[in-house]
Amino acid sequence: MPRYAMVIDQSRCIGCMACVVACKRENDVPPEVYRTRVLEIVQGNFPDLTTEMRSELCNHCDHAPCVTICPTGASHYEEDGTVQVDIDKCVGCKACIAACPYNVRYINEEHGYVDKCSFCQHRLKEGKKPACVATCVGGSRIFGDLDDPKSEVSVILRKTSHRVLKKSIGTRPNVYYINQYPKKA
Amino acid sequence: MELSITGTNAITYPVMHVWDWRVAIYLFLGGLSGGLMTMSAINYLRSERKSGTIQSLCCWQIPLMAPILLSIGLFFLWLDLERKLHGHLFYMTFKPLSPMSWGAWIILLIYPVMILYALASLPDEIKVKIKNTFIKNTADAMAPYLSKLAKLNVVFGVLLSIYTGILLSSLVARPLWNSAILPLLFLASGMSTGTAVMIIVAKNKEAKLFFTKLDIWLIIGEILIIALMFYGHYTSNAAHQEAIMPFFNSSHDTFPYFLSIVVIGIVLPLAIILKFLEVRGQDTEKEISRFGLILMNTSALLVLLGGAVIRFALVYAGQLSGYGNYTMM
Amino acid sequence: MAFSRRSFLKYAAMSAGGAALADTPFISAEARAKAEGGNVKYVPTSCEMCFWKCGAVAKVVDGKVVKLEGNPFHPQSRGKLCARGQGGIGQLYDEDRLKHPMIIDGPRGAGKYREASWDEALTYVAKKLKAIAAKHGPESIGMMSHGSPGDYFTNVLKAMGSHNIAFPSFAQCKGIRDEAWLLTYGHKPGSSCEQVDLENSRVIVLIGTHLGENMHNSQNQEFAEAIGRGAKIICVDPRYSTAASKAAFWLPIKPGTDTALLLTWINIIISENWYDKEYVEKYTEGFEQVKEAVKQYTPEWAAQETELPMRQIVESVRELSRYAPNVVVHPGRHYSWYGNDTQRARAVAILNALLGTWGRKGGMWLPPKANFAKFNDDIPAYPPASKPPLIKGDFPFAGGEGVTQVLRDATITGKPYPIKAWFVAGTNLMKTLPDQRLTRKAIDNLDFFVAVDLFPTETVMLADVILPECTYLERHDGLFKIKTREAGVAIRQPAVEPMYDSKPAWWIGSELCKKLGLNEYAVKGNGMDAWEGRMRRQAKAWGIDYDKLAKHTGYVTIPGSERPYITADNQPVFNTFSEKIELYSEDLEEKGFDPVPQYEEIEHPEKGMYRLIYGRSPVHTFSRTINTQWLWELEKENEVWLNKKEAVRLGVKNGEYVRLENQDGVRSNKIKTKVTERIRHDCVYMVHGFGHNAPRMKRANGSGADDQKLITKYIEDPITGGTGMRVNFVKIIKEA
Repeated sequence: MPRYAMVIDQSRCIGCMACVVACKRENDVPPEVYRTRVLEIVQGNFPDLTTEMRSELCNHCDHAPCVTICPTGASHYEEDGTVQVDIDKCVGCKACIAACPYNVRYINEEHGYVDKCSFCQHRLKEGKKPACVATCVGGSRIFGDLDDPKSEVSVILRKTSHRVLKKSIGTRPNVYYINQYPKKA
Repeated sequence: MELSITGTNAITYPVMHVWDWRVAIYLFLGGLSGGLMTMSAINYLRSERKSGTIQSLCCWQIPLMAPILLSIGLFFLWLDLERKLHGHLFYMTFKPLSPMSWGAWIILLIYPVMILYALASLPDEIKVKIKNTFIKNTADAMAPYLSKLAKLNVVFGVLLSIYTGILLSSLVARPLWNSAILPLLFLASGMSTGTAVMIIVAKNKEAKLFFTKLDIWLIIGEILIIALMFYGHYTSNAAHQEAIMPFFNSSHDTFPYFLSIVVIGIVLPLAIILKFLEVRGQDTEKEISRFGLILMNTSALLVLLGGAVIRFALVYAGQLSGYGNYTMM
Repeated sequence: MAFSRRSFLKYAAMSAGGAALADTPFISAEARAKAEGGNVKYVPTSCEMCFWKCGAVAKVVDGKVVKLEGNPFHPQSRGKLCARGQGGIGQLYDEDRLKHPMIIDGPRGAGKYREASWDEALTYVAKKLKAIAAKHGPESIGMMSHGSPGDYFTNVLKAMGSHNIAFPSFAQCKGIRDEAWLLTYGHKPGSSCEQVDLENSRVIVLIGTHLGENMHNSQNQEFAEAIGRGAKIICVDPRYSTAASKAAFWLPIKPGTDTALLLTWINIIISENWYDKEYVEKYTEGFEQVKEAVKQYTPEWAAQETELPMRQIVESVRELSRYAPNVVVHPGRHYSWYGNDTQRARAVAILNALLGTWGRKGGMWLPPKANFAKFNDDIPAYPPASKPPLIKGDFPFAGGEGVTQVLRDATITGKPYPIKAWFVAGTNLMKTLPDQRLTRKAIDNLDFFVAVDLFPTETVMLADVILPECTYLERHDGLFKIKTREAGVAIRQPAVEPMYDSKPAWWIGSELCKKLGLNEYAVKGNGMDAWEGRMRRQAKAWGIDYDKLAKHTGYVTIPGSERPYITADNQPVFNTFSEKIELYSEDLEEKGFDPVPQYEEIEHPEKGMYRLIYGRSPVHTFSRTINTQWLWELEKENEVWLNKKEAVRLGVKNGEYVRLENQDGVRSNKIKTKVTERIRHDCVYMVHGFGHNAPRMKRANGSGADDQKLITKYIEDPITGGTGMRVNFVKIIKEA
């Protein structure tokens, strides 16, 4: 079984939002809600400024508070290392939305269930990468199998210093971040 | 710092708001219901200890109120569900680590205890009016077990009150809630509000005074727990420190929270003071004066108000708290 | 889970390289559809959410486009699409689209129309055009256009005898740059892309080019690749753009002084002997004159003029020279800034030449070598123009695309001869041309105005007849010649049938020819397949397998066309008079212009006024996409960027709505303020294209402010006719 993970090279993100729209169309995400987002954080004073570009999505945590809290088993772990929502089991209690430190879940207003990034599991089954990765213009999103030592993500995580979001909470995310700022000189 | 985010969801941005007054009401009524279970049962058990026989001395309605209030609370919780017709899904599985899952199952345990106790405590003059033979027979059958049921209700009432704080306290992502002291606060508050209702409905002066004295200790405990809760957050990590800030910042955005602390800070001590006034000089055989009754009921209402404010303030403020929501790495 | 290793291996084997994991397997649209089964269809086509012409693959399920992806074979997309490309479905299914031909039913601008059949509308258009041609001569019919529909109506106009056809892509955009490079290298720096070898560059200089916000797909892919490989970015921009955020050197230059910086850099490179001597000697003409002409531009002077630290000016050009020739000074794209823009483009071209970047790895690649057989489907030669076209005005180096505002001026003044009818296709002139008051005046002067478009824009809603074109996902176009490092051919074909009563522009043009009695210029054959028949004939003439293009790959390469770098047997060809890079331009000298660029100071705003600069959002294309659901959602309104210190001084808070008032007293819609450290104190910035005044475009209407409304002043570049539009000054009016 694979163990899927994403690496985000922040220095290569050019904030083009292709991932955001690709995700919406691929997963038919309703208007005005999103499964992934892009943050642009600028610090400093004119003209000495620094920017961090950071795209965020469900971290598919190994120790996911959303799965722990879910009363019906709708949010669950899968063998491929992802966290998925079985929408048929969801009662819409929203505890998982409150439980997620990353604020990546939303309610599908039309049907009332909770939804979020699935790492495009349906595409993975077809041998494709997640839609956001496939269309990432900057090549900032990198996807692969941590159980395969030769995969790009495995190689990067072995060789590059990396971080995860809000590590101290102990969720053990599977989305890793490298190169917080672009190399400049 | 300049932050711009593309692709936010209204439910979590700029701050989370998944739960609202419906959940706050549920938490309040759940706690109150637990308080009533415990306190009404204590009332019976005291009478048993004093007179040797357990009697439905007063306020037989109270044990009945507990399941009714809990049901109203659960109704509001149900109103909060996004898929109201899918409620049965709670009972298709048991998730041992999900407080909501065991909450769903515990309710199935608590209701019988509450209801049988309520039936057992029905006085004979009420029982004769019951037309439904099943209920009447059950009430008759349970009557001998009133003492045991009352003891069970003391315990279950405490558990129910504690439980109402567990779901929130288990959410690591929301530092204000994520504190083991929260269930204790809800316990103290639940018991205190339960006691307040007892004070109001009890017809017997002795009972009124007993619960008034009890409530003084419960309120002192509650205030101590609140103080400890804030102190705990204040001495914890940055996210916890941030989490309590709305209560201590009178600016426009956080004013309701600031106000809630002010209200709690006035209401609970005021209730205590009123109670001291009531208790003082009441050791005589004289009936409680009209003025004394007004004092008692006012202080009890203040306690109920304080309990509601605590639930509302915590439900809303907890959703503002987070781990540096969108800025922290 | 159901995804077995075996099924993965099947896909992996299908994919060209057999990449390690979960790579998008795509060798053929048809094969992929077959592998997935069901009612899935994959249609390779070309995107038109902007004009980069990326290859897209439409996933169609049960007759509905559900997803768009980049075509991995196409060099402009490389398997990826940007936000706009992904959002193209929103344009297709936009309920605000023009649905039927409409004929005006009331005064112009009142917005009253009646629906008409195509036959009625086209008959009416033909009758009107014929009458005007008879009365005023065919040259009195002018056309302005952008994108692919232009081709079909150019045919109509030329067949009638009018050559008064102008594209805003020239004078309001990149024409200035193209002419400057033609003068210098005898080549435009690419027509659909700049020939920059970004992915191999060690140093990239961007002068007001904001990659990342200007989302040209493959170029941004290469830009990110360069960043990933550690290329140094030198970004010259008064605004801290996305590109600036990646830069080793951000030079927050005083707007309007770019040429001072460029000429100083040239001076430094020459006087420090950092230029590529061998290259300059072999491939250029006029080095000594340049050396002499730039002597006066010292770093001290430039520091004062540009308000940049001298150290930064020198250090950045040292880095640039250090890695030459594997460096590039990006030629830019939108160039109509200050009215002296040809010379700035010349300075960029000269700087590149001195660094020896043309034909060098990491510099600019040589144009691909491919000969396409001539093909015009045996359409007879056009009749000679009834009168010489006026579209070049008095601008000696105006290009063949024409100068739009000249056509507009003639419409107003009737000089040198009257223009009585406009044909406008695919361009929202009110938002494209500077000084909307003149555009409106010209339209009011017209006897007849036909618009072909997708949406009821403010310009379209002034037309007498509105002809609804279908979107790129519903029509054939092309074939397209794609010239990147290699030459290739791409297809546009419908993913679904046209919605409503909309029609492809080729059909509209062809039917109009028939109505005008110009049958020989119409597309051969009948029905909606006629154009595809022409495409097949064209493919045959070019020696290309049409079925492979249409069913499988969407793009084919011309083998052997890619010769990007100078080698002993691959020498560059310069189509200039001297057959060399003309650093010193005798052509310019002959017409009385500076043969080597000289710095001209421009007017700067007084205190309290700010220069209005404008730019792009990565999720929008001009004003074309604001109404598109998935893109509108991401950016519903634009913001005006205001320097933080200035904001404090003015008492304007971040997020507060203000209005801008320009030097002519024209006021904008209200617009949200972005108070930021990211911009200089003397200018304000907003994204172009917002602030629609088009009530039938429900989402876009009234959201944000229109920069073009504030651009009432423009300075024409005397060399090319480009309209300098960054010459307007605004003040901030707080909302009461």
